[in-house]
Amino acid sequence: MYRPGGSPLHRMPTVAKVGLLLAWAIVAMVFSDPITASGMALAAVMLLISVLPPLKPTLRGMAFIAVLALLAGAYQVYRGEYDSAIDIGADVIGLFAASLAVTSSTPMSELLDLATAAARPFRRIIPPAIPGLMFAIVLRAIPEVATIMRQSRDAARARGVNYSPGAVIIPTASRTVGFAIDLGAALHARGIGDEARADTGAPSAERLTRLPEPTV
Amino acid sequence: MIEFRGASVVAPDSGAPILLPTTLTLTEQRVTIIGANGSGKSTLARLINGLAVPVEGQVLVDGLDTRKHGSRVRRRVGFLFTDPSSQLIMPTAIEDVMLSLRRTVRSKDERIKAAFQALDDIGLGDKANVSVNSLSGGQRQLLALAGVLSATPSIVVADEPTTLLDLRWKAHVGALLYALPIQLIEVTHDLEAAIKAQRTLVVDEGAVVFDGNPVDAVAHYRDLMYRKSVGERA
Repeated sequence: MYRPGGSPLHRMPTVAKVGLLLAWAIVAMVFSDPITASGMALAAVMLLISVLPPLKPTLRGMAFIAVLALLAGAYQVYRGEYDSAIDIGADVIGLFAASLAVTSSTPMSELLDLATAAARPFRRIIPPAIPGLMFAIVLRAIPEVATIMRQSRDAARARGVNYSPGAVIIPTASRTVGFAIDLGAALHARGIGDEARADTGAPSAERLTRLPEPTV
Repeated sequence: MIEFRGASVVAPDSGAPILLPTTLTLTEQRVTIIGANGSGKSTLARLINGLAVPVEGQVLVDGLDTRKHGSRVRRRVGFLFTDPSSQLIMPTAIEDVMLSLRRTVRSKDERIKAAFQALDDIGLGDKANVSVNSLSGGQRQLLALAGVLSATPSIVVADEPTTLLDLRWKAHVGALLYALPIQLIEVTHDLEAAIKAQRTLVVDEGAVVFDGNPVDAVAHYRDLMYRKSVGERA
């Protein structure tokens, strides 16, 4: 999502941005009135626009979250809680927009450094490099899994079994596992598990990325 | 120098042999490994980087046992996979190269400079801030190679690095690999590329069945495949 730029959010230190995002989330949860929530959502959207994020993925993401917000709001309307409907819907949109503004203005490597630094006090429990790396891997895996799913759906259509969920879900699941194994092998080959181990002095990190022998 | 001393690998669940005890020393700058699918050639290559460890015997890289000194071996041996998509972890090209440099370059500014240099060297300088998802297959393989080379290995093991590429990228990536001033061990199905090496190993059913001159090795492999296909038809 990151796009280089010169907006105030781009220039702000990563730790301040993430701190601001956390504060935003807390305020959104504490103040549950529709006016505050709507104002914060509007401000978040303006903030997102100010960083000039990549248009297509941003619109796609916002459209998806708007549908979720509508569903959540509709449920509250069904229960007769009109204020909550606006509050929850606006909170969902606002927090998503604020998160997008932060990720669009911050390189992943800086978020990874921050996550690593934040995890350092817990280095006896988990290697500090791991949480940030996990976050990066999750983001990296999303488009890959979406591609695998699209290909599985196309394959199911080509075989004339487009109404069978199993024909899509089973190959998607097995190929996703294959992708995860390959990714683990790549991490291991690049010595990234070794780096995590060096941070703790413990042998656990190498085991995290060590894989079973491949069946060629 | 890479030494296999009776190194063998078995399947962890069934115990079926994947690679029979293998003893050989690889000192040549360009070595290719050829063989049919499932013959054991990728396992042979993975042993060099410590991605696979032998159940018996040893694999030594510059005198370091891959089982005991895995971390030090991986600093010496870079590994290039067939599918670069699974090798690229970070969202943009520059960040992915920087990830490889985290082990060796502590200063962030130095890391950025070194990553830009690595991308420039490979011809991807203008793609530094581009999402890895927007790169073509060939560009992704180049980026994976930049990530490997930025860690300054003394050996690169490439497991079918051009199999998924079109002819243009195959030639480009192949030429870059062969121009590397370090030892290259390449697993390949591309017999034209195989004969450019100084030494070629033919692997079949978990064993190195030919080891020597690349032209003779390719002839041996063709003959082997011919005999097998005739045998299957008979």
